[in-house]
Amino acid sequence: MGKKLSTPRLTTIYSFLLPGILVYAFIVFIPLLLSIYFSFYKWNGGLSKDFIGFHNYSQLIRDAKFWFSFRNNMIITVLSIVGQLGIAFVLAVILQAKWVRLREFHRTVLFLPVVLPAVVVGFIWNLIYSQNYGILNGVLKGLHLQSWIHPWLDDPKIVIYSVTIPIIWQWIGLYLIIFMASLQSIPSEVYESAEMDGATGVKKVWFITLPMMRDTLGVAVMLCISGNMKIFDNIFVMTGGGPGISSTVMAQYAYNTSFGQFKLGYGSAISIGMIIISLGLILLSRRLMGGRSVEP
Amino acid sequence: MKKATMLMLGSLLAMTTLAGCGSGGGQSASQSSSADSAQGSSNQTIKLTMEDRLLETSTDGSVIAHRKMIDEFKKEHPNVEISEESLQDATYKTKIKTLAAGNDLPDVFELLGSDAQMFAENKLIMPLDDILNQDPDWKKGFIPSTLNDFTVNGQLTGAPMQMLSTSLIFYNKAIFDKVGITKFPSTWNEFIAAINTLKEKGYIPIALGNKDKWVAESCILSELGDRFTGTDWFNSIKNHQGAKFTDKPFVDALAALQQLSKIGAFNTDVNSIDNNQQRTLYYNGKAAMFFEGDWAISSLNSEAPQEIKDNTHLAILPTVEGGAGKANVVSGGAAWAFAINANLKGDKLKAAIDLVKKLTGVEEANVAAENNAVAATVPTNYDKSKVAPLFNEYLEMFQKLQLSPIYDAQLSPAVIETMNNGLQDLLIQGKTPEQLAKEIQDTYEGA
Repeated sequence: MGKKLSTPRLTTIYSFLLPGILVYAFIVFIPLLLSIYFSFYKWNGGLSKDFIGFHNYSQLIRDAKFWFSFRNNMIITVLSIVGQLGIAFVLAVILQAKWVRLREFHRTVLFLPVVLPAVVVGFIWNLIYSQNYGILNGVLKGLHLQSWIHPWLDDPKIVIYSVTIPIIWQWIGLYLIIFMASLQSIPSEVYESAEMDGATGVKKVWFITLPMMRDTLGVAVMLCISGNMKIFDNIFVMTGGGPGISSTVMAQYAYNTSFGQFKLGYGSAISIGMIIISLGLILLSRRLMGGRSVEP
Repeated sequence: MKKATMLMLGSLLAMTTLAGCGSGGGQSASQSSSADSAQGSSNQTIKLTMEDRLLETSTDGSVIAHRKMIDEFKKEHPNVEISEESLQDATYKTKIKTLAAGNDLPDVFELLGSDAQMFAENKLIMPLDDILNQDPDWKKGFIPSTLNDFTVNGQLTGAPMQMLSTSLIFYNKAIFDKVGITKFPSTWNEFIAAINTLKEKGYIPIALGNKDKWVAESCILSELGDRFTGTDWFNSIKNHQGAKFTDKPFVDALAALQQLSKIGAFNTDVNSIDNNQQRTLYYNGKAAMFFEGDWAISSLNSEAPQEIKDNTHLAILPTVEGGAGKANVVSGGAAWAFAINANLKGDKLKAAIDLVKKLTGVEEANVAAENNAVAATVPTNYDKSKVAPLFNEYLEMFQKLQLSPIYDAQLSPAVIETMNNGLQDLLIQGKTPEQLAKEIQDTYEGA
């Protein structure tokens, strides 16, 4: 009662941390351990399971469909790094310029897609891409570009790009906010002295903004990789991984295997494979980004 | 302000901790409730959980009839409290398997024929043989072949809820007349010729929405395959008696399906629209035909413009030259049944049986018939004037037809998954019939 503002006891600290840890354990840690456990079994649901050791993993390494869906993940990731980060960076720099009016308005509009549920985004773009009624084909027709009209979500050659565009569109806003925050933290004195030395627009961006933002960019790339390695919902809504498996990503493949074919053991192995690959890529990106910090 | 935030945070924390404990506490709670109902008097409320595809918004006659039965059951049994969750078809299929994997099935649920074996082998389903034998009237009502569909290793796994034929051709006679086709084609070659004519005149010959992947397989290939292979081949496949998916007749069937897509019989966006949208193309008068099961009759009846309704007639796939299958065959069966959780006991079990009886009894069959749907039980007494003309046409046709198996109601989920995915590729020439046949065979051998 009488005590005030003293250091809280350890038990108090832990009891406040406990709910968060419990929730985390419940929705992340325990399922992960269970997945690892299941991945050593041949299990099609229900009570009986057969222990088969590393068989699921040796099958996974030779599974062409898995590597095909990994390839799709990579396409989406590379395009997203270029598209999301690139566009967001350019927009952030432009919005930083003195002559831009209605800055908050632009920022809000660009951020809006981020708060939309992926299912909504999927449906919106399904309508945009629709063969007969879609606005995209409508606009192309209006511009007399009939030869450009495609069944956007039906052609296995382009479908992976068609489903990537909404993903890029949705997440530009997030990186825009991150970049704008980071831009604001660059001291204006640096720019002023550069201006005195005669640096202008592009040079300022290249020699000051980019190097000063390297850490932020590194984090953004990491977020982008991890986000796109587990991408699922947009594509699930738009094509369900089809036609065939041409827009299937790893998460969708794990889902199909687990809940379509009901090979839960193998599905778990795929999920664990996903985690290993994603971790590897993130470590690799850290390595690459870190390597540059030696430069002046 | 600050106080309110703290309060919110506090309650949030309390909620999350409670949720964390939920999984541990759940089991004991359900145990005690079943103990209650076992010893309690009949006045006590019995709680039943139920999972189904009976959406209130559906226009499918079978769903309408079952919904009505549930409402009546609730009125007749005020002491039974049903907590029900209705889901869309594709979602339901996933959810019920997920629940099964967690050994967490609801008390009463819909069972897909192809899942029956897996569920039964894991002892998740209450065998219904004895229960049905105790009520001969109920048992006699069922069309015998529907019971066979759900008999696994000599045990009845579910009470069939409907009698389906999955691959009817709905065609617009006005369009056929307009392009000069006076009679629905009766051979494959005539069928191809008709498609070419329709195509030339600017119509979409067949509207197909295969986004959900089962339509091409369930509504076209099940029957087209049977035309080529005959039902004996399928039985051999199902019982692992030597037939292969790489056998020539089945490959020919795949080739025939691909031929349809090659000559432009379908809309170009087959893989990005679903079966509701395929009907829309037909309702607009843009498409001359579509393939779907008899459930589409009641949907068509309530959705289509009058003009389209009046001109719609039914047909089945024409025979193919040299095919082993019979001509008067349509793919069909019960496909879905109501099943009861194996863990039920006492009053709860009794209530569940009553509910399933209500849902599959003759009363349901009569209501279904008035709503243009065929139940698994023979209807005895219904108002024929309430029925859509197309439904009468269907009943007349149906009596002369024999049934062949529906692929996705009988084959294992893994085989169906491979087949369904592959058909999407096949329909856009992404795969050859030989490649697909081999893939399906590989899955079949691996499973």
